Amino acid sequence: MPQGDYIELHHKRHGRRLDYEERKRKREAREVHRRSRDARKLLGAKGKRFAKKRYAEKAQMKRTLKMHDESTSRQKVDDDVQEGALPPYLLDRDQTQRAKTLSNTIKQKRKEKAGKWDVPLPKVRPVAEEEMFKVLRTGKRKTKQWKRMVTKATFVGAGFTRKPPKYERFIRPTGLRFTKAHVTHPELKCTFNLDIISVKKNPNGPMYTSLGVMTRGTIIEVNVSELGLVTPAGKVVWGKYAQVTNNPENDGCINAVLLV
Amino acid sequence: MVQYNFKKITIVPPGKDFIDIILSRTQRQTPTVVHKGYAISRIRQFYMRKVRYSQQNFYEKLSTIIDEFPRLDDIHPFYGDLLHVLYNKDHYKLALGQINTARNIIAKISKDYLRLLKYGDSLYRCKCLKVAALGRMCTVVKRISPSLAYLEQIRQHMARLPSIDPNTRTVLICGYPNVGKSSFMNKITRADVDVQPYAFTTKSLFVGHTDYKYLRYQVIDTPGILDRPFEDRNIIEMCSITALAHLRAAVLFFLDISGSCGYSISQQAALFHSIKSLFMNKPLVIVCNKTDLQPLEGLSEDDMKLVMEMKEEAMKTITQAGDPNEEGVLLTMSTLTDDGVMSVKNAACERLLEQRVDVKMKSKKMIDCLNRFHVAVPKPRDNKERPVCIPQAVLEARANAAVKEKKKLERDLENENGGAGVYSASLKKHYILANDEWKEDVLPEILDGHNVADFLDPDILERCEELEREEGLRLEEQAAQEAFEIDGHELTQEQKEILSQIRKKKALLIQEHRMKKRTAESRPIVPRKFDKDRKFTADRMGRHLSSMGVDPSSAMDRARSRSRGRKRERSLSRVAADGDDMEIDGQQSNKKLRLRSRSRSKSRAPEEVIPGEGFKDSEQKKKAIKKAKDATKKRNKDARRGEADRVIPTLKPKHLKDWGKFCRDNLVKGGFCVTTGTDTPLPTLASCVIVAFLIVPIGLCNLFDR
Repeated sequence: MPQGDYIELHHKRHGRRLDYEERKRKREAREVHRRSRDARKLLGAKGKRFAKKRYAEKAQMKRTLKMHDESTSRQKVDDDVQEGALPPYLLDRDQTQRAKTLSNTIKQKRKEKAGKWDVPLPKVRPVAEEEMFKVLRTGKRKTKQWKRMVTKATFVGAGFTRKPPKYERFIRPTGLRFTKAHVTHPELKCTFNLDIISVKKNPNGPMYTSLGVMTRGTIIEVNVSELGLVTPAGKVVWGKYAQVTNNPENDGCINAVLLV
Repeated sequence: MVQYNFKKITIVPPGKDFIDIILSRTQRQTPTVVHKGYAISRIRQFYMRKVRYSQQNFYEKLSTIIDEFPRLDDIHPFYGDLLHVLYNKDHYKLALGQINTARNIIAKISKDYLRLLKYGDSLYRCKCLKVAALGRMCTVVKRISPSLAYLEQIRQHMARLPSIDPNTRTVLICGYPNVGKSSFMNKITRADVDVQPYAFTTKSLFVGHTDYKYLRYQVIDTPGILDRPFEDRNIIEMCSITALAHLRAAVLFFLDISGSCGYSISQQAALFHSIKSLFMNKPLVIVCNKTDLQPLEGLSEDDMKLVMEMKEEAMKTITQAGDPNEEGVLLTMSTLTDDGVMSVKNAACERLLEQRVDVKMKSKKMIDCLNRFHVAVPKPRDNKERPVCIPQAVLEARANAAVKEKKKLERDLENENGGAGVYSASLKKHYILANDEWKEDVLPEILDGHNVADFLDPDILERCEELEREEGLRLEEQAAQEAFEIDGHELTQEQKEILSQIRKKKALLIQEHRMKKRTAESRPIVPRKFDKDRKFTADRMGRHLSSMGVDPSSAMDRARSRSRGRKRERSLSRVAADGDDMEIDGQQSNKKLRLRSRSRSKSRAPEEVIPGEGFKDSEQKKKAIKKAKDATKKRNKDARRGEADRVIPTLKPKHLKDWGKFCRDNLVKGGFCVTTGTDTPLPTLASCVIVAFLIVPIGLCNLFDR
């Protein structure tokens, strides 16, 4: 519902300024100069933003220009070859294809026996102990150095209770405990916020696995009941493995990829 | 009482700009420098400050949005309903709710990351955490950018809503489309509503103000309502329905009895009966418009019956207090001829005023006030009648004014002669010219190859006269000059030549002087020392004088003496010698002339000292100069720029002395040794002894002398 159309009303009744077209033309022509001045003179954060925007605009312009340009391009013309099509000299022979269909569970069992897993990040940078732990000095004269504080993201589990402070050697601070992970399904390409069930394996060593430290490349087990996956037998799948793909201590969150 | 100032809502920036604003503000208003080597707590504090600052800014800006947009339940129901009709209430609430959740999410993000930053043990880690925090906050805002765009549109629209006060005296105009509501509105108020022959010209509510009995009334023009079931009504009609429903106003229901709006009286009557429930408790006036096309009396039987039915309904709305006069309920008028417009307005305003006064009188507050009022009426002195006194002239003028006819407008002329497309007015008929017959003449544009417009001037005749006067004066002058004779004798050929030369020279001088005078303000007089053209050299003057037959030597000497510095005594003596010489101002320094050595006839010895500047002779001045030089010698040796220069470039110059050893040797335990620029060794025993020996012999000498 137009309510502020007094401007249009004035134009309708009295017309525009006599030099309106001229001024409009000049204003539009000045835009070019203004843009070039900005490109030359803007500095700092503003300059970066401008440069980024301008680059995107230019790329778009180039694309449209190219689209509208006439171009001679040669493309290979492929005759569609159907699957299973035989060359003429092989016709009239029976060809049977044999393939072994294995269930997913059998595949997994075999892999587990071999100890090989097909993971998205096969190799990760090893994390040194100095980086992983921070030495805490304790004692009356602060000379005892047997306590360690974990500096990376950890997972402790629901029923976790600390050992008595006098005896605990590894301190996992509350601020660095995570319970949820952002898990991406590689085929569906969408991300879910799923609960962590446990830390399965940390590539830096079994000690870290037992502590529940999550670094890049760690395999964790996540609760996938949200996804509604079902086994061929009809059972509901509620836990699956995922591999951590980022550095949680730097980003403040755990990003993982589901291992299907 | 909420102020319905929807214009005061701050602009809601679009999502991207919002992010840019906050991030650039964070970058500007928080410290920007941090290095790897700083203490870890300082690094942490640096980044935590940034995260906190961003969160606070986001919070503030989102809060202003949420607070400034009006809550539909808190404002007057008229505005609440109007806003619901225009922008769906649910969408509006949803958008504001999204902003609220975004605000809370950002607060939570900030809290989480501030907690994580406490465990940051390196600059890189803290920086990553800060980047992640700001990034997540910005993503939240990016997600709500459609809501922000929607709210910005609403804000712009709301700011342009008409400012209707729901509580003051209001007159509402309603009826079918095209019946003449907007024209009536334009007639009684200063509102400039668009009036067009097509239906639904008015698409929204318009407000105007009018006065009656020294009180201001709001007049609200509504878009036309069609007779449809309630659910089918579109937004435009809903606006008028809302206005009818919520505003306590006098209602003017417009009827077009000529049918030129395209709807018959029966349709209009049907509409009336369908919305008559909205007229409850409101003074209603039924107005029959366009009586110039169709007078009320000329209506058919059925139509008349319908109109009377409506009138019956309207009578029911008359309050009990007012006496039911039939005049105030059904009125006729025509906006085109202005016939009856004022009476309609007066009737509506009167009815409204009565009703409002009634209501107010019945309220409790009035009873208290009424007890305190007492209108005092002067007691009549005697039974003499004292009528109004109007002077005779005024009465006559009034009578004449009544007789005088209305001025004929151009528009009436146009209408008479066939209308807009047929008749074109002659724009030249009011021209003021010397001869009336010239009015219809065509003005040529080009004459003899020249543009006539270039030569046109409003005061061209005056200019012509001025020029002629000047010309006359000049001719007189010329005649006077030519008639000039020296004592009546005739001039010889030679004399004539000389005379003409002199005259030419004089004219040239006058011209130059005039030129100089004209440009004196714009061009400064160049002093002689910048005379690049060398126009004012003594040689030139000499040549010029000799060409005239005058001996130039004395003049040149004089000129030269002025340009060069001379000893005072010499110049003084010169003055004594040539009494009629010109005065000499003083020594004029002219660097250029000094450089030209050939023009310098007398040169001074290099060590010659001229007495002056307060010294009585050269000897004294020489002594003073020597003293000054001696003083500066010491300063120059110390490389000091002047008396006041006390800068010490290096406090302990290594090349002069092993200051370390010096300090160590002279260090007093528990104190420090004072170092000076020069070597001042402490007095040793040996030197004391030497002094003692020196003293003793002097003392002995004294003894011996006695």
